[in-house]
Order: sequence, then structure tokens, then C-alpha cells
Amino acid sequence: MNNPISGLARASPMHLVESVSEVGAAVNRAKQGSLAYCSNFFPVTRNLENWITHRELFLQERDGVSFFFRKDRDFLHLYFCAASLALLQRAIANSPTLGSEPVVLDLVGKESALGELLGLFEGAGFRIHNRLFRMARLVPSVPRPADKEANSRVAVADKSDGQPIVDLLLRSFDRHAEQIPMLYEIEAAVAAGQIWVVRDGGVLAGLLFHETQGLTSTLRYWLVAPQFRSQRFGSWLMHRYFEAHPVIRRFLLWVVAANTDAIGKYEHYGFAPEGLVDYVLANENILP
Amino acid sequence: MNTLAELLKEIRPEFDFTASRDFLADGMLDSFDMVTLVATLDKTYGISIEGVDIVPEHFQNLDTIAGLLRKYGVAGA
Repeated sequence: MNNPISGLARASPMHLVESVSEVGAAVNRAKQGSLAYCSNFFPVTRNLENWITHRELFLQERDGVSFFFRKDRDFLHLYFCAASLALLQRAIANSPTLGSEPVVLDLVGKESALGELLGLFEGAGFRIHNRLFRMARLVPSVPRPADKEANSRVAVADKSDGQPIVDLLLRSFDRHAEQIPMLYEIEAAVAAGQIWVVRDGGVLAGLLFHETQGLTSTLRYWLVAPQFRSQRFGSWLMHRYFEAHPVIRRFLLWVVAANTDAIGKYEHYGFAPEGLVDYVLANENILP
Repeated sequence: MNTLAELLKEIRPEFDFTASRDFLADGMLDSFDMVTLVATLDKTYGISIEGVDIVPEHFQNLDTIAGLLRKYGVAGA
């Protein structure tokens, strides 16, 4: 399909964000004095800097509400900051971008706290596209025994793996719901040693991508390509991951709620739901 | 009223927040937790922490959070 968002800044009353401080100021304007602030925007400075550098982040302010749009291939992720639900509702109705562009947004929180926001966006023409929930594995600080086979077959990804990793992720996951990284993000993760791979006959057979900070590690993607399954590749990757992180106290991941096969595997490795859900909503310009 | 350490423990019960000087670097709080904490502080103390103050350096440890609260007129948190 043609890229419907190539002329985004021209077609809509929004502008390209050029600095992190601009983001903070727009959040501040939306939040000022409010005790009923609502937002789905939890930015990490490093991500913001990447999005700004790659000219992916746009800002639109309507009716006192700040909307951030992040370009992701051929659609937009929506983030909002509003002083109240009533203001948000009015701004959604008045935003030309939400009616004309393919837009998805994530509503993250406890299931019981999301009802009003879900209803508001469904009333504005969005539908539930997917639902994910977070699983956690809380562990004492005890190293796991080494798995020799895993150590010999699992390798840290190298630069040449970048595009094959992106291609495999795009083939395997719901790109509207699972935040598939851009090539530059994969290349940075490879350079930081965050991706392990298993190759078979020189072909990328499986991968595990994690982000680790202090005592917490987030398992972002773990998969084996369909033609390579039932050969223990997934098991080797997971064992290697745990073995390399003996001091981690909390492992986290997000999983699609309908993916019972994956959930069963995660439970096998000690993960359990921890109460956070992520409703991915899409407007009518995103095909089901 | 709960102490700051108790409020943090409600968000992340698995960690001891009195033992860290940098919650973010130690992986005890992520960006989502930070926003949850802001909402909790707003509600608990009847304040409205501004967007420009929702930055990592204000949420590094119990002392920096207490300093942020003092800016909004909350003493002895």
C-alpha cells in the first residue's frame, strides 16, 4: 500500500518534535494543575532521543490536550496527555489526524482501571485490536546450572544478523501490537549484546532479545522460526538467558493474551501474570 | 499516612527501596512505575506534579523524591 503518512506534517496541524525538552513542555501544558491527569505516555529518554533523531515523533495540541504520534513504518502510535477524560474526549473528536491516518494506541494498566478510557476510545471509532498482559518471574539471587549444549549453540548476534532479525520479527509477530523495532534499534541492541541467536546451516533459526537494567530484565522477543521448531533451540536460548543473568531478581515480558501456546511455555519457565494488561486499540484505517 | 518507602513497596513489593541510591539504574522502577508513582504521590498528598518534573533525577532514591515533594509544599514525607 502507499505510505499514507508520508505527508503527515503537511496534511495535519502537527509538527515534528525536535527536542526532548519540547516533549516535557507539551506534557506540562497538558497536565498543568490537574488532579485527574490521564496519559498513556511513559517515555524513556533514550527512546525519545532515537525517535527525534530519526524524525519519527510528531506533536499535535488540541483543546489543551497533547497528542504525540510516533511513525512506525506505515502507521502511527498515538500517545496522549490530558488534564481530564472530558478534555481528552473533546480533543479526540476534534483531531483530524485520528480520522484520516492509520493509528494504534496502547492503554496499559490494571484491568479494572482501564474501563473509562476503553469506552472513550471505542466511542470515538477505535476497536480492540489485541490484548496483551505482563508476566513476571521473581527469583532469588541463585545462579542456574550451566547448560553446555545451550552454551555451544547460542551465539551473540552480530551486525550481519540485523536485517534477518527484523524480517523474522515482522513475519512472526503482530506489528501493530508488539512494537517491532526498526532496523536502527536492532543494530543498537546487537551492538549492546542484547540479542542472542541460534543458527542452523547458516540460517537464523531463533533469537532472544532482552533489555536488562540493574535487577530487572525484560524479555522483549523469544522465538524460533516455524521450520526449526521442536529441536530445543528455544530451550537453549532461554537457558542461556537465565544463566547469563544470575543476579536478576525480576524477569518481565509482555505476551498476547490469546497466545496460549506461548503462555504455557512461559509458565514452564516460572513466569506468572502480574496484573498489568495492555489493550491495543486501532482506528478504522488499520485493517483487522 | 504511608511513608514514601511504603508507597513504593505497594508499587514494587519485591524490592527493598531503602537499600538503593538509584532506583532506575538498579532496575527497581521503570518508566511505567514512575508514572504510577506520580499518580500515587498526587493522590496521597493532594498535589499535581508538573510534567517538567517527571524526570529520572527526581525519582532516583527516597531523598530525591522527598526533595521533589518539598518543592510542592509536602514536608516530612
